[in-house]
Amino acid sequence: MTTETQEPQEKKPKLLGLIPLDWRLDLTAIKPIRRLFKSRWFPLLAIMVNLFIFVIILLSGIVGGLSSGNYSFGIMFVWILWWVLLMMLLVPGLSRTWCMVCPLPTVGEWLQRLRILGVGEGGLGMNWKWPRRLSNMWLMNILFLATTFFSGFFTVKPLATFILLGGIIVLAIILSLLFEKRSFCLYVCPVSGFQGLYANMAMTEIRVKDPEICRKHKIKTCEVGNKNGYGCPWLLKPHELNRNTYCGMCLECFKTCPFDNMAMKVRPPGTDLLVNSKRGLDEAWKGFIMLGIAVMFYVAMMGRWGFLKDWVRAETLEGWLKFAGIHAVMNLLLIPAVFFVFALLSKLASGARETSLRSVFVNLSYSLIPMGLAAWVAFSFGFLLPNGSYLLHVVSDPFAWGWDLFGTAGFPWTPVLTAWLVPLQFVSLFAGYLVSLDYGYKLACQTYIDKAAAIRGFLPLLAFLTLVVIFFGWLYGG
Amino acid sequence: MNFKTILVAALVLGCTVLPVAAVFLYENYRTRDLTADIIARAPERGNFSPQKLTVPAGKEVKLRILNNDTVVHGFAIPALGIDAGEIKAGHVVFLTFTPNRPGAFDFYCTRWCSEFHLQMRGVLEVSGP
Repeated sequence: MTTETQEPQEKKPKLLGLIPLDWRLDLTAIKPIRRLFKSRWFPLLAIMVNLFIFVIILLSGIVGGLSSGNYSFGIMFVWILWWVLLMMLLVPGLSRTWCMVCPLPTVGEWLQRLRILGVGEGGLGMNWKWPRRLSNMWLMNILFLATTFFSGFFTVKPLATFILLGGIIVLAIILSLLFEKRSFCLYVCPVSGFQGLYANMAMTEIRVKDPEICRKHKIKTCEVGNKNGYGCPWLLKPHELNRNTYCGMCLECFKTCPFDNMAMKVRPPGTDLLVNSKRGLDEAWKGFIMLGIAVMFYVAMMGRWGFLKDWVRAETLEGWLKFAGIHAVMNLLLIPAVFFVFALLSKLASGARETSLRSVFVNLSYSLIPMGLAAWVAFSFGFLLPNGSYLLHVVSDPFAWGWDLFGTAGFPWTPVLTAWLVPLQFVSLFAGYLVSLDYGYKLACQTYIDKAAAIRGFLPLLAFLTLVVIFFGWLYGG
Repeated sequence: MNFKTILVAALVLGCTVLPVAAVFLYENYRTRDLTADIIARAPERGNFSPQKLTVPAGKEVKLRILNNDTVVHGFAIPALGIDAGEIKAGHVVFLTFTPNRPGAFDFYCTRWCSEFHLQMRGVLEVSGP
């Protein structure tokens, strides 16, 4: 008689103990989707539709209802519809799909290539390399934070939204003519950074199907391009793609791969958080800034402190300077400093002397991403439910000239499900908290050498995340 | 130029220049019989603009009152029995009437819109035949 002894199988990691993290569903196995992704008309046609909407947005910023933000097509479409779609659906669901169809850098890219649909050599511009020192998220962090200093105008004054969007388009064109490919999107665009960071949480990803095929393929057409498409405009190596952060989903790699080896897959949310590549302080700070801005936006737009609203809206220069100063210090110093204390406690509690404090600080900071995204989803409910009905008015009368294109211009302001606002916000926050805890523990296991150290090191993070969720709960519903 | 190039060029124009042109052409068509636009803003933000309007007696007048402000306004010419009622922020009201007698007729904001509300007024001058 023989006795078989089986090695205990290592448990597959699961999200919240439910969904295996390596589960994938290839959407591009569906033939019409694959055909669409390989066509040069896509995403071009979607960009065109978006371009049309942006032309109307820009026009509404300079004509028509110049003062009344709630009846401005531009303000409603950008700060209600677009922002809510971005934070509640696009980024959590479809990663950086917005970048796929974004019209802002389009004109710059067309000039760069001197082509709109086709593929070819040559074009306009200097094609310089982006400076190495700025090849990170710091510039985007600063620009996005600086943009929020003027948030008191963007959501109220149509002209301010026009200046912001117009400025981004002009800057994108200038930088596209100076620097190679999508340098503007990668390193400058204020919207790009947080999308990249939160795209780690997305439920979809673009990856290769079979890495072995890429390994054997000597000419990396996804990098250098071929007659079917351009080499990755986002300066990535699509054959090595393992995080959503810097992939703008332009789909060029679908067109250039001769082996049809690229796929868009559905996956459990957040799996990129565990990918230890290109992690850094720039991304950590992006996480802190996004959390801080979620607090500030709520306080300024929906909070109960009138004097803060006056500061944000620059009723006096002194008040606005106070706001900008406090906001900058809170985001750039205070939140990181508090997190640093908890990272230090984590390292001390773990007893892992060989693990650097920097890696503890950086690695654990990624656990803030689910919580931050949830705070934004909760914040977005606070916008959408009370104010969404304004969209029906502005779509019929986009320039406040008394038009009634679709018969909805007279639709009154109608708050929807506002009795459910706080419960929905709490559910969002709690879901984000749970996912943050789950990934926080997994990140602690990645950071520390053994499980016992990881558990001890996780406890201060648990405390920090709990304090964060209690704070947001108090802020939104207290 | 091949067909694809022409199609793409048409699409780009259709998404950019064409909508802008269409917007202004449509607006010009809609307002072809408009006598005047009156923009309503609280006195400290610009008041009625224009504050003085001259129209001939006996001819139909069509006014468009645009509340470009952040507060509710009203519009009335009591001497002519005209009252547009409440005009919400961002909303627009059209008024059509025929002043039959010459004279200067004050128009007013009829909603308490700011601490300077009482200064929110203008004059419609109806000139004789």
